Amino acid sequence: MISKIINMAEKMQDAEDRLLESMFQSESVADNGFSDRIVRRIRRQMWVRRLALPVAMVAGAAIAVKPATQLFAVGSQIFASLGVESLLPQAAVTSQLPIMVVGGLGLAIALLTFRLFEE
Amino acid sequence: MACYRTRVISNTASHVGAADQYLVARAVSAQDTAAFGELIRRHQSQVRNFLRKLSGDASAADDLAQDCFLHAWNKLQTFTGRGSFIGWLLKVAYTTFLQSKRKSKRYAEILDEAGYAEDVQSKSYTVQSDEITDLDKFLAVLSEEERAVMVMSYACGLSHREIGAATDMPVGTVKSIIFRGKEKIRTSFDIKDHKHG
Repeated sequence: MISKIINMAEKMQDAEDRLLESMFQSESVADNGFSDRIVRRIRRQMWVRRLALPVAMVAGAAIAVKPATQLFAVGSQIFASLGVESLLPQAAVTSQLPIMVVGGLGLAIALLTFRLFEE
Repeated sequence: MACYRTRVISNTASHVGAADQYLVARAVSAQDTAAFGELIRRHQSQVRNFLRKLSGDASAADDLAQDCFLHAWNKLQTFTGRGSFIGWLLKVAYTTFLQSKRKSKRYAEILDEAGYAEDVQSKSYTVQSDEITDLDKFLAVLSEEERAVMVMSYACGLSHREIGAATDMPVGTVKSIIFRGKEKIRTSFDIKDHKHG
């Protein structure tokens, strides 16, 4: 009730208010592609955000393939020299590791591309 | 591709008659850019007019309006739905305007420290147009704060409470700013035959 009274009091205008209101009124601004431009920017921004992490992961994995293979080989040699049996034969894993990583990358890229088309 | 386009058009068409609150809910929950696009289409004129009156420069105001809508998209989940959407949007627009002012002021200070003189319109209201209207003359005598409040009140039709929410001021302060603004206009332009509001 009190808020209604306040609103009514606000809406009561004198001649000066009406004059100011008419002075401040302006023609509406035509859209002319303004909203479409913003929506396009938002969509681009959304895509950049969505893709940033997966792309970083794929790039990081691609960079890490060679050192990871070498690390695995060194680790296997150390375990072998300590007399600890590896679960998988070292030679087989070392030779297959790059292919496995490249396969993983291929899968990640395929999933990303699929998602892109789906969107 | 044709199917995708049809889907986008039908999505946009379904948003045309929807209420602002529904469109905000769609945009927040489903990241629906078409719903937000409809909101932009509805309110762009008011936001651009508000920023044009505030800055006095149409192209700068349009750039600010773009930034404002991008900020609005990123902060859309903070809209609680208590007030009107345009009130909230004008709050974002006003904040964007103040931030850009602060940035240009800081830029001018850095240039000044480096020994370069830069003509930055940090305080004064300068119309970037050949035509100077009566409204431009009115706005020129007002301070930035008074201009924002007066434009929200008389051009955008916001209530005192909505202006208070948009500018983070108590309603009493809003009323006194409007009173002061009117007083300034009255004395500057020698308007005598009206009662005080």
